[in-house]
Amino acid sequence: MTTMTFDNTCFENLHKTEAWMYTNVSSLAGIDFALATTVVDESTIKTYDIAPANSFIVLVNGVFNEDASRIESGIDINANYDLAGSIASRGSSDIPRLECDSVTITKSAGTIHILQLVTGDCPTAASGRVFIHAADGESISVAETHVCLGDSGHLFMPLTEIMAEANANVTLVRAIRGSNTAYQLGQLHVSQHESSEVQTHTITLAGKCLRNEVCAYLDGKHIESNFDGMYMLGENQHVDNHLRIEHNFPNCNSREFYKGILDGNAKSVFTGRIYVKEGATETDAKQTNQNILLSDNANAMARPQLEIYNDDVACTHGATTGEIDEEAKLYLRSRGIPKDAAETLLMFAFLNESLEDLADDAFKRTLTDELLSAMPGGEFIRTL
Amino acid sequence: MTTPLLEIKNLHANVEGNDILKGVNLTVNLGEVHSIMGPNGSGKSTLASVLAGHDAYEVTEGEIYFMGQDLLELDADQRACAGIFLAFQYPVEIPGVSTKFFLKAAVNAMRKYRGEEELDAMDFLDLVEEKAASVKLNTDLLDRGVNEGFSGGEKKRAEIFQMAMLNPKLCVLDETDSGLDIDALRIVADGVNNLRNPERGFVVITHYQRLLDHIVPDFVHVLIDGQIAKSGGKELAIELEEKGYAAFENCSTGCCCG
Repeated sequence: MTTMTFDNTCFENLHKTEAWMYTNVSSLAGIDFALATTVVDESTIKTYDIAPANSFIVLVNGVFNEDASRIESGIDINANYDLAGSIASRGSSDIPRLECDSVTITKSAGTIHILQLVTGDCPTAASGRVFIHAADGESISVAETHVCLGDSGHLFMPLTEIMAEANANVTLVRAIRGSNTAYQLGQLHVSQHESSEVQTHTITLAGKCLRNEVCAYLDGKHIESNFDGMYMLGENQHVDNHLRIEHNFPNCNSREFYKGILDGNAKSVFTGRIYVKEGATETDAKQTNQNILLSDNANAMARPQLEIYNDDVACTHGATTGEIDEEAKLYLRSRGIPKDAAETLLMFAFLNESLEDLADDAFKRTLTDELLSAMPGGEFIRTL
Repeated sequence: MTTPLLEIKNLHANVEGNDILKGVNLTVNLGEVHSIMGPNGSGKSTLASVLAGHDAYEVTEGEIYFMGQDLLELDADQRACAGIFLAFQYPVEIPGVSTKFFLKAAVNAMRKYRGEEELDAMDFLDLVEEKAASVKLNTDLLDRGVNEGFSGGEKKRAEIFQMAMLNPKLCVLDETDSGLDIDALRIVADGVNNLRNPERGFVVITHYQRLLDHIVPDFVHVLIDGQIAKSGGKELAIELEEKGYAAFENCSTGCCCG
């Protein structure tokens, strides 16, 4: 694989811009990242292969690993992809893209699992592209797992694009697991046409500093768009969920629903921008960000933003940041559940609300398991 | 003389610095159903919350004994494990965990407290089916988040269902009739009546006499301004219905009414 020159000085001044004001990645500019392809042993890959019945696509440092993958028709791998004319090229992102393989998905029988690993003995930077293209009336379900292995402080910059044509239905789950020393700057670009439905979940369970960008273009009438997110972070972890939804046509519904629990010195940033174009009447857009803070030093910033050029729209936003609900805790305790267990149960309930509606059982089980491992007192829930 | 199930002596309690209970005395024996009636603000729900161990209420004076044990020394969860159940006036909604899941945690926490073995999944589900049927509760509801999206009637039936599941010694019902239509009221009352037995006592808090047509109490107490102004048999509820609470409002000093 030929490597692109990677000019990481682009990170130096990002935090001086409005879009990055709460997320400082300037330290990345001083790191000499490797851009190598490394072999990952089979057993590591196996631990992330959670549903052997499904298609399984493995990219290691952005390079397709044929031996570990199970590919069916409707899935294509392209070594060289051209972003010209792609959905991503419609907007502008400050996140650079490295040369990588591209997975194109045009059909799915069940859920397709994609595992993207970043690995290396020294700090390694990689991208990886997934393009989900659902033609008229097609239904596609994809679950991605992003894992940086080891504690070298890798940088992963994945790019996922969804094209949902008229009446198509796309479900995408992206789970970020693995090392807590890694940086992840990810992009998701979505284009939807008339009467299509897109549902995405972005689940952040690991990483040192993460930014999950979502940019959606609703280019037809009667579109349903759901962008959900969940995170559970502690210590000095940082997540920045940065969304922009463009309502370009009338009668579309969009929802941003992000929730998380923060412990230690962890920090979350939520920016949800709704843009309603002139003429996009009867737009219904909701932005919600809910946080539970477990420590005095944890920090949640919510920035709901509305940019509306039309009357006759319903745009709502709500943000809550607080502690565990005392009323609910008393209710559980009045049923004999001890204080610590009641708190655990309520934390689990809070986050589980965004896992519950994942259609893929194997993926849901794995994420629930991962969540419980990371949660104080999670073992108690597991015994139930 | 046998130890009373519940013995409240000169109980004073306040919330956020406001004195609500001003010397309540009440004794409940096993097998008895006591009803506490009173106007809004008289302290009925406070009494229920204090019994359940709600942190927001501070007991400033008096004693509560539950089966001879000093109740005020126990935390809310320990009280539940010891055998006190409060059916909430406004049950909390908890999306994200199903009622089944939550109840399994509750049942097993109590069994652990009592040094009993945990219930296995099959036995637990059998128990759920049986008890849900007793209050005509659709078990599909139990796979939803706790009380999530339940109607008023469903919430109250779910409380009685939980009560049946947890098999308490003392059941405290806090205005369980509020917000119920006649049919729902009857189902809830039937559920409660099924649980009446010589090994259990009830404190039924209500604003209206109509609940007591269905759950016929052994004793009725009128709570006025934080004190029990009058106690009597079930006929007292009917007298209250006719005369209203105003007739009892000067009783707390010890005068005689009726």
